[in-house]
Amino acid sequence: MTALLPVSVMLPLLGAGLTLVARRAAGVQRVISVLALAVQLVTECAMLIGIDASGPIVMHLGGWAAPVGIALVADRFAAILMVVSTVVTLGVLVYAISQETAGHPGWFGRGSSAPAFHPAMLIMATGVSNAFVAGDLFNLFVSFEILLTASYVLLTVGGTAERMRAGTSYLVVSLLSSLIFLAAIALVYSATGTVNLADLAGRLADLPRGLVSVLQALLLVAFGIKAAVWPMSAWLPDSYPNAPAPVTAVFAGLLTKVGIYAIIRVQTLLFGGQGFVTLLMWAALATMLVGILGAVAQGDIKRMLSFTLVSHIGYLLFGVAIGGHAGLAATVYYVVHHILVQTALFLAAGLIEQLAGTTSVSRLGGLATRAPLLAVLFFIPAMNLGGVPPLSGFLGKIGLFQAGLAAGGALPAVVVAAGTVTSLLTLYAIVRIWGRAFWRPAPQDGDAEEAPDAAPGAGGDGDTAPAANGDAMPAAVPAVGGDGIAAATPRRAAGGGPAPAPVASRVRLPGGMLAATAAVVLVGVALTAAAGPLYGLAGRAADDLGHPARYVTAVLGQP
Amino acid sequence: MTGDAFLAGVIGVLFAAGVYLMVSRNLIRVLLGFLLVGHGTNLLLLAAGTWGAAPIVGESGGPAGEADPLPQAFVLTSIVITLAVCCFLLAMVFRSYQLTRRAELQTDPEDVLVEAGPGGAE
Amino acid sequence: MTSAFAPAPLVLAAMFAAAVAAPALTARFGRRSLIGLAALPAAVAVWLATLLPGLTGGAEYRSRTAWAPGLSLALDLRLDVLSGVMCLVISVIGAAVLVYSARYFPPDDDGLPKYAGSLVAFAAAMLGLVLADNLILLVIFWELTGILSYLLIAHRVRKRSSRQAASQALMVTTAGGLAMLVGAVLLGVHAGTFSLSAILADPPGGAATAVAVALLLVGGISKSAVVPFHFWLPGAMAAPTPASAYLHAATMVKAGIYLFARLAPAFATLPFWRPGLLVLGGITMLAAGVAALRQRDLKLLLAYGTVSQLGLLTMLTGSGTPDALLAGAAMLIGHATFKGALFFVVGIIDTTTGTRDLSALSGLGRRMPVPAALAGLSALSMAGLPPMIGFPAKEAGYAGLLAAGDAGHWPAVVMTAGSVLTVAYTARFCWGAFASKPGVPPTRPSRASGWLIGPTVLLVAVGLVLGLAPGPLDRLLQPLAALAGGAHPGALALWHGWTWPLAMTAISLTGGLAVYGIQRAVERRRRLAAPGRPAGVGYRALAAGVDVLAARVTAGTQRGSLPVSLGSILVVLVAFPGGVLAASGLQSGRISVSAEPSQAVLTVLIAAFAVAALRARRALGAVLTVGGAGYSVAVLFVLRGAPDLALTQILVETVTLIAAVLVIVRMPPDALATTRSGVPARAVRVTLAVCTGALMTALALIIPGQRRAAPVSDGLGPQALQLGGGHNVVNVILVDVRGWDTFGEISVLVAAAVGVSSLIFLRRPAGVSRPGARPGSGVRAGGPGGAGGATGPRAADPSPWLVTDAVPRRSLLLEVATRLVFHLIVMFSLYVLFVGHDQPGGGFAAGLIAGIALTLRYLAGGRHELAEAAPVDSGIVMGMGLVVAAGTAAAGLVSGAALTSAIWQVDLPVLGQLRFVSSTLFDIGVYLVVVGMVLEVLRSLGSELDRQAGTATAGVPEPVA
Repeated sequence: MTALLPVSVMLPLLGAGLTLVARRAAGVQRVISVLALAVQLVTECAMLIGIDASGPIVMHLGGWAAPVGIALVADRFAAILMVVSTVVTLGVLVYAISQETAGHPGWFGRGSSAPAFHPAMLIMATGVSNAFVAGDLFNLFVSFEILLTASYVLLTVGGTAERMRAGTSYLVVSLLSSLIFLAAIALVYSATGTVNLADLAGRLADLPRGLVSVLQALLLVAFGIKAAVWPMSAWLPDSYPNAPAPVTAVFAGLLTKVGIYAIIRVQTLLFGGQGFVTLLMWAALATMLVGILGAVAQGDIKRMLSFTLVSHIGYLLFGVAIGGHAGLAATVYYVVHHILVQTALFLAAGLIEQLAGTTSVSRLGGLATRAPLLAVLFFIPAMNLGGVPPLSGFLGKIGLFQAGLAAGGALPAVVVAAGTVTSLLTLYAIVRIWGRAFWRPAPQDGDAEEAPDAAPGAGGDGDTAPAANGDAMPAAVPAVGGDGIAAATPRRAAGGGPAPAPVASRVRLPGGMLAATAAVVLVGVALTAAAGPLYGLAGRAADDLGHPARYVTAVLGQP
Repeated sequence: MTGDAFLAGVIGVLFAAGVYLMVSRNLIRVLLGFLLVGHGTNLLLLAAGTWGAAPIVGESGGPAGEADPLPQAFVLTSIVITLAVCCFLLAMVFRSYQLTRRAELQTDPEDVLVEAGPGGAE
Repeated sequence: MTSAFAPAPLVLAAMFAAAVAAPALTARFGRRSLIGLAALPAAVAVWLATLLPGLTGGAEYRSRTAWAPGLSLALDLRLDVLSGVMCLVISVIGAAVLVYSARYFPPDDDGLPKYAGSLVAFAAAMLGLVLADNLILLVIFWELTGILSYLLIAHRVRKRSSRQAASQALMVTTAGGLAMLVGAVLLGVHAGTFSLSAILADPPGGAATAVAVALLLVGGISKSAVVPFHFWLPGAMAAPTPASAYLHAATMVKAGIYLFARLAPAFATLPFWRPGLLVLGGITMLAAGVAALRQRDLKLLLAYGTVSQLGLLTMLTGSGTPDALLAGAAMLIGHATFKGALFFVVGIIDTTTGTRDLSALSGLGRRMPVPAALAGLSALSMAGLPPMIGFPAKEAGYAGLLAAGDAGHWPAVVMTAGSVLTVAYTARFCWGAFASKPGVPPTRPSRASGWLIGPTVLLVAVGLVLGLAPGPLDRLLQPLAALAGGAHPGALALWHGWTWPLAMTAISLTGGLAVYGIQRAVERRRRLAAPGRPAGVGYRALAAGVDVLAARVTAGTQRGSLPVSLGSILVVLVAFPGGVLAASGLQSGRISVSAEPSQAVLTVLIAAFAVAALRARRALGAVLTVGGAGYSVAVLFVLRGAPDLALTQILVETVTLIAAVLVIVRMPPDALATTRSGVPARAVRVTLAVCTGALMTALALIIPGQRRAAPVSDGLGPQALQLGGGHNVVNVILVDVRGWDTFGEISVLVAAAVGVSSLIFLRRPAGVSRPGARPGSGVRAGGPGGAGGATGPRAADPSPWLVTDAVPRRSLLLEVATRLVFHLIVMFSLYVLFVGHDQPGGGFAAGLIAGIALTLRYLAGGRHELAEAAPVDSGIVMGMGLVVAAGTAAAGLVSGAALTSAIWQVDLPVLGQLRFVSSTLFDIGVYLVVVGMVLEVLRSLGSELDRQAGTATAGVPEPVA
């Protein structure tokens, strides 16, 4: 049982090693990647069940008892996140493989003669899962570095000008946040002489309040950047949308959530949910509103989604700020919801790009008739993001509002109000995008009555017409079109303008991509169907977070 | 443990110079700035531990006068990570130079578009 | 009494399932499948009819199903008189509408699947809405109806107008719905329960409750198109007529009324309830009545009529007296029957004549007598005249308002005025639809299908029966009134004697006919009244405003420039932790000035290098300066008792330097130049930099003095020797105590190396795919072809001194020398690797040393030399490294915990007797990874760039490996 802990982290790393050894054989790479993640998922599910039954599990690596050695700790919260993140990663991987085999060389590194996608993807998975179970501040830093370095590679894969620009700003901001984090660790160690989280929980309590607040502030800044909390969020919408669709999807699903996880962990475990609550509330409010206003202003689906991603980080921050059992339970549930819905939406956006060659709304149209299945796969998560009942977005929102209003006080009420406005504007942005991209007749074929593939389920069958790929693909991959900036500027050129042919082209969507997207969407819907048990689990996870003593005793034994 | 004036001073200088270089559009400057701030953090880590004889059992004069080995291990890790990131950053510098023929980063075109004005309501 | 009602959740589930299946059915069997779907609501209607008798006693049915207790969300359903009546309306009219739709749409309508699914789902959601006994469940169904109405209104998705109408309706009702959501949560949190019946049975008091109820009312009036939210309903007429009849006349717009009626018994006493609803309802009734008189489109006329009637219903339920509630319920039923029927008739006219413009229709009364007759009866009901249900309902309404005493007088007057308008637009409707108009050519309708007539007949019949014999309905509704205190029996009756209500009816009839006459006269003199400006101007203005605001805010916060992003982060860093530090009043405890002058000197030296880096103008110079800082840091490490760090730092610095130089020499000498940023920008940068530095200095001075407890590393030395089997504590920490960190490190190295090659091994200008040349193989393939390309004429840049395979640069002596040294260095690296556990060294240092050996070979002999030195794929080396490291850890797992050390004594031939620790195996993995990493970087930044430079100038494409 405990042994599964390091195993589930090591599996993807082992896979990465093997994919490197087999870097000439794409097929072998794919098999290895899928296998590694699938097995990892199994082990994590086993852990989750075990942990939910019998509390947190701890692995003292190298037999060196904490606090000297590194302890891997998994409580319910960590286990939940591990499972969800692996589900998402696996789905994205299948999606990517299907897209790759559908003939998308330039997309993720086949264009490079040194294919980096699979190793990088697996290494990122390693970093993510390690971050969730790191029981040690420095090891948490290392996990961040693992997933960040891998994410640099994934974001710039294919090396187009557009991605280099996006990748650079992403990389530099991440570097700064890592340095701040490292500095914070140095100061934590000099103040306490330990970096073990459980040990810190005890030692910080003995320090003067002011000193603790300084350390807390430093950590919050470091994690706030990663979680894209306004005003430290500008980097995200400028970088994410330019990556290949599957990469953006997995980033949107996981990376910011790792930051949120870190915030929750330190707030609850190290600082007992105390300190900067008001500040967090204001940050939540600003993040919500600025983010969603950004989304309203966008004319490109991927960018719009990136802004909604930021704005809904505000919800999570609100939950953390409320704290307490209700607040944390709602946050845990909302994190899971947010991971799944964002990934699903970006995967759907990738399908749109695959089908129409762009995600710029002004050049899209008639998708609902051209690809009904895609329409459904976009509509459900979109409504979910908009918090439309009975989907998980609504349930999570209810949980947050209940917690916020139960907490009492003016500020929480204000943030709740802001939350409703955000929710409404989210729906506004989504409905506008939906109306234009899916319902409005395509700019090209003005009279869309005779739009191609009008037959229901046209988007459904996954067989890829190779002939179609030949002419459609280059257009379908603006990224490969050389100078990305030039390719990017006309994005919002008026619909009448010389939009690329593919809008009218008959690209069939690869079945694997559709299946993977559908899978993620369905898991998201399952959050509603199984809301009862899941919210119960979230409640128990919140209970763990609310009682840090359990974590501490699990790691250090009875005091 | 005590704060070391000189060490603290040089840490400050490294951060200041590094940050100044990082806040730039020129990727090489950014890289150099990153390296300087990196040195700064490493020294900060080192300052987090007592200093003394090298922590090698039997060669140092016993645990009393030894430097704290844990921060050293942290610094080692951080050095290596810095190396890795630095190599990648170099590759990026070259790649963007190869594409744009300049070492300067451009503003995101989409944001320029947004500044141009809203895209009407549906 | 629950048994008979137990299947309720299953009924809902069945209907939703049918909704999911409906699109497929419609796509398969065409429009006739709608008739089949109609069977479902019909069956529900029958089932409910069997339950009704049980309700007359004021009894109610309940059904509880758990859903998400954590959210106090439960699938609790409750059937009492109010919800029973609503359910009957929903199911009966639902069935009628589905049948009607089966012929209303053309057979080839490609929107039909969406329509069928949405309509059935809507029926289910509407049933759920009125049955829900849990506040959150109520909100869930409430918002669902909004979304489904969105899908139904936008039936003609290709028409911009219908898309806009749909989103407008969605936004307005959702805005209300969100207010309602907050209200519901607030009420539930405050009352301690989310069970509607529990709250109504024992309503909580206090300001919070008042706010909550107010928010709920906002939701209600937005859904029921009461001023100021009225405008979305006429817009929603873009929907297909049967959908309009169902959603926007019979059911969905009644949701608000239902909510008022549901809450009134408990909350009508709140100060704002009666005034608010009566005033808003009155304004709505009058304003919409006037607007209806101006319409030329029959459907819009009915739509404004509906808004007006909703205003009336709001007044009735708002006044909250028992009689008014009862009248409201009756009126609700009546309106559903006659308005539904009238919409059906308009639909018939539309489909058979192709127009709804009353100025273009003439003589239809004679040509389609049956629809005309049906419309006539419905019109009587709408005007509140016998023998239809509208008459007793309206009578009861007058009575109910008057029952409120003095406070009830002005509402009664307003209602009379509204009824005047109602009669007037009713007359206008009949004239517009059926009269023969002079000067207008007689309309020639095609024959109307029986499938269209049948449902209409059904609705009219219901209205007629209830109108002739209101007694049973009265008895059925009495329990509802009883909730609010009980109404007089027989409130619904054809004859009450000579009462005020009768007089008011008379007034409204005569007045209405008079108003109609006057308006006709006016219209005869001038042209037909133009249907004023389209509703929803305010909404569109608001939307535009939101867009502008969004653009402004985004333009302000999202500059898309990296320096700005970094700057804002730094501002936060300085302001937040800095501010906290300043506020904390922490004093720098004991500050020591470096005990050793040598350390002081070095710190000054490092600072000098850092500042010099700022001044540097040439990229190469800057890189070397920063390198200098790095080397001096290494020396400082030595002085601080960290030989491992020093060793690694020196090696890393060297590798970094070489890599940087490899890249920089390929860029123009002015690569470091930046476009001069303005003085203010520079000032900001300087301030930020200085503040950040100051903050860090302060922290470095203050924090270390604060430590109370001893570090966890105390006494690690002996343990390291005993458990870790090594004298060099740092190394033991790296490969054993904190080996897991090292794991992370090597994954970082691998990721970065892979990234480097994936960026460099791209054909310029951009990532156009070229299968083939991979690192390693690419180099070997470069053999002849590469050399051929390389010996071609040189380009201006890259600067020649480093392009090592330029013939003049190759020096045989140097190559031979390096070949000799190479093996020695590699051996040395192995030695460092194995002694690392006891002496300074270890996997990293060793790997870097080997890497530098390779670098020497490359620098001396170029990429071919490098290929000879390491004829393996660097990927494989790194991969193997990862596998070995992971394998060691896994092996450790078997023996208990990951990364545990086992210790053996081993004799190695060259290096002599070595104590061999299992963690050394781990260190070997590290060694491999580092070597592979350096090799990969060299091949990318070195060989591959040479090759590209060569081919770029020679212009011959690389032969594919």
